[in-house]
Amino acid sequence: MQSRVQDIRRQFDRDLARVKDAASLEDVRTRYLGRRAGLVTALLRELRETPPEKRAASGKAVNELKTHVEAALEGARTTVGAAGPAPETIDLTLPGRSQRPGSSHPITQVRALIEEIFLEMGYTLESGPEIETDFYNFEALNIPPHHPARDMQDTFYVEGGLLLRTHTSPVQIRTMQRRRPPIKMVALGRVFRRDSDITHSPVFHQVEGLAVAEGITFAHLKGTLEHFCRRVFGQDLTLCKQTGWLEILGSGMVHPAVLEAVGYDPEHVSGFAFGTGIERIAMLKYRVDDIRLFYENDLRFLSQFPG
Amino acid sequence: MKFSHAWLGEYVTITEEPAVVGERLTGAGIPLDGIEGRADDSIYDFDIFTNRPDCMNHLGLAREYAALAGAPLRPPEIAVPPGGRPTQEIAAVVIEAPELCARYAARCVLDARVGPSPDWLRRRLESIGQRSINNIVDATNFVLWEMGHPLHPFDLDHLEGRRIVVRRSRPGERLRTLDGVDRALTSEMLVIADARKPIALAGIMGGEATQIAARTKNVLLESAWFDPVSVRRAARALGLRTDASHRFERGADPEGVTAALDRAARIIAQVAGGSVTAPALDVHPRPFPPRVVAFRPARARALLGFGLDDAFMRQALLRLGFAIRVPADGAWSVTVPSFRRDIEREVDLIEEVARQRGYGAIPAEVPVLPASDQGRSPRERVFQDARRAAQAAGLSEAVNYAMVERDDCLRFDPDVSEPVALTNPLQETAACLRTSLLPGLLRNLARNLNHGLESVHLFESGTTFHPAVPAPDERQRLAFVMGGRGLPAHWSLPRREVDVFDARGAVELLGDLLGASPLAFSSDRIPFLEEGRALRATCDGRALGVVGEIRRSLLATYGVDRPVYAGEIDLDVLAQAHGMVRRYRPLPRYPAVRRDLAIVAPAGTTFEAIDGVIRRASRLPIADVQVFDRYRGPGIPAGCASLAVQIMFQHPERTLTTQEVQESIEAITATLSRELQATLRGVESR
Repeated sequence: MQSRVQDIRRQFDRDLARVKDAASLEDVRTRYLGRRAGLVTALLRELRETPPEKRAASGKAVNELKTHVEAALEGARTTVGAAGPAPETIDLTLPGRSQRPGSSHPITQVRALIEEIFLEMGYTLESGPEIETDFYNFEALNIPPHHPARDMQDTFYVEGGLLLRTHTSPVQIRTMQRRRPPIKMVALGRVFRRDSDITHSPVFHQVEGLAVAEGITFAHLKGTLEHFCRRVFGQDLTLCKQTGWLEILGSGMVHPAVLEAVGYDPEHVSGFAFGTGIERIAMLKYRVDDIRLFYENDLRFLSQFPG
Repeated sequence: MKFSHAWLGEYVTITEEPAVVGERLTGAGIPLDGIEGRADDSIYDFDIFTNRPDCMNHLGLAREYAALAGAPLRPPEIAVPPGGRPTQEIAAVVIEAPELCARYAARCVLDARVGPSPDWLRRRLESIGQRSINNIVDATNFVLWEMGHPLHPFDLDHLEGRRIVVRRSRPGERLRTLDGVDRALTSEMLVIADARKPIALAGIMGGEATQIAARTKNVLLESAWFDPVSVRRAARALGLRTDASHRFERGADPEGVTAALDRAARIIAQVAGGSVTAPALDVHPRPFPPRVVAFRPARARALLGFGLDDAFMRQALLRLGFAIRVPADGAWSVTVPSFRRDIEREVDLIEEVARQRGYGAIPAEVPVLPASDQGRSPRERVFQDARRAAQAAGLSEAVNYAMVERDDCLRFDPDVSEPVALTNPLQETAACLRTSLLPGLLRNLARNLNHGLESVHLFESGTTFHPAVPAPDERQRLAFVMGGRGLPAHWSLPRREVDVFDARGAVELLGDLLGASPLAFSSDRIPFLEEGRALRATCDGRALGVVGEIRRSLLATYGVDRPVYAGEIDLDVLAQAHGMVRRYRPLPRYPAVRRDLAIVAPAGTTFEAIDGVIRRASRLPIADVQVFDRYRGPGIPAGCASLAVQIMFQHPERTLTTQEVQESIEAITATLSRELQATLRGVESR
C-alpha cells in the first residue's frame, strides 16, 4: 500500500503543476479527493477495511498524503484565484432558466374570470349533473313537451330516458329546491346540443345566473348585466353594445310558473336569470374567429393563453 | 327574418332612418341582426323569438313600431269584390278532427287566369328573398309575409267531390307533396282530404295533384287554424319544415283566419281576375274565448324597479292591441288580442309595458342582498387547485368533447362492459359518454406531435360517466399525457425524453399541493398500461387513480408513434381526503445531522424497501430520506445497482452526537446487509 501512496503523491504533484485555472484545479481536486472515485478517498476507504494490526503503518502514510494533497490544493487555489485569467465572459443574451407552468385553457380562464366577478358580488357557485331529466331540463323551466323552444335546443338522449343537459338552467331549479330565498347563484358548466353545424359545437359551456329574493326588479337585472359586461370587456360598454350583448346574455325575470314549480310564492319573491355561452365571450374577448379551435387542443393555440 | 323598410311603410308612416328603427325595436326586445341598404329600400334582419309569431310578418312588426313611435297603424284593405256566388254552393268543408283543427275557412275564386305576377307583387316578395311562382301562389305567399297567416290555394277542379275533409290520415295512405316527394302518412298526421284521398299535409305542405298550375281556372283558398303540437309532430316525423309549419307550431292567430282569407282572395281577384265567392265558408267548431288577465300597475312598478305612471302603461297596452277595463279600484282587466298567444299572466303584461319604455330608459341597479358565506364550495376549490397543480407540473390544459367511441370506453375502463350510450348520436365515433379522459388526450397528443411539436404535456379535468342505476354516475377526474421531450427544456440542461418518473412526479406534486400527500403507490397490472410501468395511487387507503406508460400496442390506434406516459385520478376522492387542515409544526430547535450512504444492492431491490429498512433500523429519529443518485456500471458488481441516499437524523429534544449517529448508521447498514443483501460504497459526512 505504501508504494501506491508514493505513486499517487508523485502523480498528484505532476497534475497540480499543470493547473492553469479554477476549472482544471477543480478537476484535480475531484480526481484525488472526489467523494465517489477520488484516488485518495479510495485509499482511505481501503484503510478502514484493513485489519487493525496492519492499519498503523499504512494509516500514517495515507493520512500524510491526504494532508499534503489538501494543503497543496488550498495553496494552488490562492494562486489561481490571484493570478489566473479573468472569469469567463457570460453571454447574458441567452434565455434564462425557469420551470414553466402549463397554460390553462382559455375557456377555463374566462370561467375563472366570470366566477370571480360573481363571487365578488356575493353569489354562490353551484353545479349540477350533466346527465339530466326532462323535468329539470325542460318542464320545470316552463318548457312543456312539443314547445317550439325545444327546437332551439336539439337534445341528445341517453339510454334510460335521460338526456344531456342543453343548458345550465337545471341548476337554477335544483338550487331553488335545495335552498330558500334569498338566493344569488351562478352555475358554470358544460352543455350539449345536437348541432352538427360548423359554427356550432355539440359541446359548449354556459354560465347561468339567478337572483331570487323579495323585491328583485328588472332594474337589478340590468345593473347586474352591465356590471358583468364592464368587468369582462372593460370599462366602457361599447364592445358590449357593438356585439349586441342583449343577445349574448339571454336574460329576463324568472317566470312565476318556474317559481311556483319549486314552491315559491311569486307574489312574495321575484327573481331574474341570465345565461350565455362562455365560448362566445372568449371569442369576443380574445378575437377568436373559429369555435372549433377551443376543442382541437393544439398547443400552438393553447400556448397563446399562458396563465 | 327579413323585413323590407318600404313594405313596413305601407302600414305605418316611418319618418326615421332605418338604423333608428332598428335601435327602437332592439330596445323593445326585437333584436336587429343587420340592415342591408338597397337603392330603393332597406332590408332589415330581425331576430324574432319563438314566442312572438305575431311579429313574423310586416303588419305585426309595423304594429310594434307604430306603438313605440306613437304613430297610427294602417291595416291593409281586406274587403273582397262584391257580386260573387255563395261559397257553399261551390264547395263544402267538413272537420272530422276538431281537436286538431279549431277553424277552417274557405273561399273560391272562379275563372281566374294563372300567369306571372305583376311587378309590384314580384318585387315585394323578391325584396325579402322569396321567389315568385305565379300570381295566385304569390298572392297567398304575400299575405303570409304581410299578415303572418299561412294560406293554401287548391285547384278546385282537382278536388274530388269539391269537398274539403279535415281528418287524420288512414292506414296506408300516401301523398305526393309539392316538393315531388312521395310520403307515407301515419295516423297521427292531420291531413286535408277531398272526398276520396289526402290532398295536403295540414299546416305543412300541399299536394302535387291539386297544386295551382298553368291550366288552373278555379281556386279554393284555405285559411285555417291547426293545433301547434300536431303540426310540430308531423313536421318532425316527415323531416319537413316550411314557412307554414314554422308559424302553426308557434301558434297562429285563430281570429286572423278570415281576414287573411279575405285579403288573399281580394289580391287574387286583383292580379288574376275571376270572381270571389261570398260569403266564405267558416267552420269554427272550437272558438277560443278571449284571454283576460288581471294587471296591477303598482305590481308592475315594484317588479320593474322604476316608476311608470298609469297613463303610460295604459297607452302602451292599448297601442299593442290590448283592451282595458279599469274598475273603480283593484286590478285592471286586460283583454289579450287573439294574435298574442304568448301573453298568459300579469308578468307578461309587465314585460310589455317595459318593452314600450325601451331598454335604454331603464335604470341600472345592483341588488343588495345579504352576503353569502358559501362562495366556492370546498369540492370546487379542490378541482381548481388540482388544475393549478397540473399546470405547475408543466401540463397545459385541454378540453375535449364528452362523446367518444364505444371502444374508447372499453379500452380505458376495464370494469365497464356497456358504457353510457346516446340514443341519437351525431356519429358512431361519438356514440358513448367517456369513461376516461385519456382517449381524448391521446388524440390531442397525436395531433400535436404530427404538427411537429417536440414536447407535448397535456391535462384535462372533467366529467366521466359510469353506468349505474337509476342514473349514470358522474365523476370528476383529472388525466394527463406526456410525450416527447422532457421538461424543463433549456440550453444548459441535457436533452432527455419523458419517462415514467415525469408521470409519477406530476401525481406526487398534485398530492403535495392539495395537502393529500404522501400518496401511496403500488405496482399493479392495469390493462391499458405497460406491465412493469404501471402504478396505482391511493390516498388514505382509497383508490385515487393510476399512473404509468400507456400500453404500446394501444398507441397505433390513436396515431402516436412514441412512448406516452400518463395518469388519471379521481378528483372526488382527492376532495374527500382534502378535509385535512394544515397545522403549523414548531420549527426544530436542535440541528439535523445528514449522512450520505451509497448502497449497493441486487438489481430489483426497490427504494421503498431500502427506505423502509433505514427508518426501521435507525436508533435515532429520522426526519427525511432523499435519493440523490442512482448508478450502475463500472465499479458496481454486475447484477447490482448503487443508490445514493441522504439520511437526515434529527432529535426533537437534543443535539445528536457523532457517536450515536455512527451507531445508527451501523445498525442501518447491518440491517440492509442482512435483509436486502446490500453493501455500502462509502459513508461520508457533510
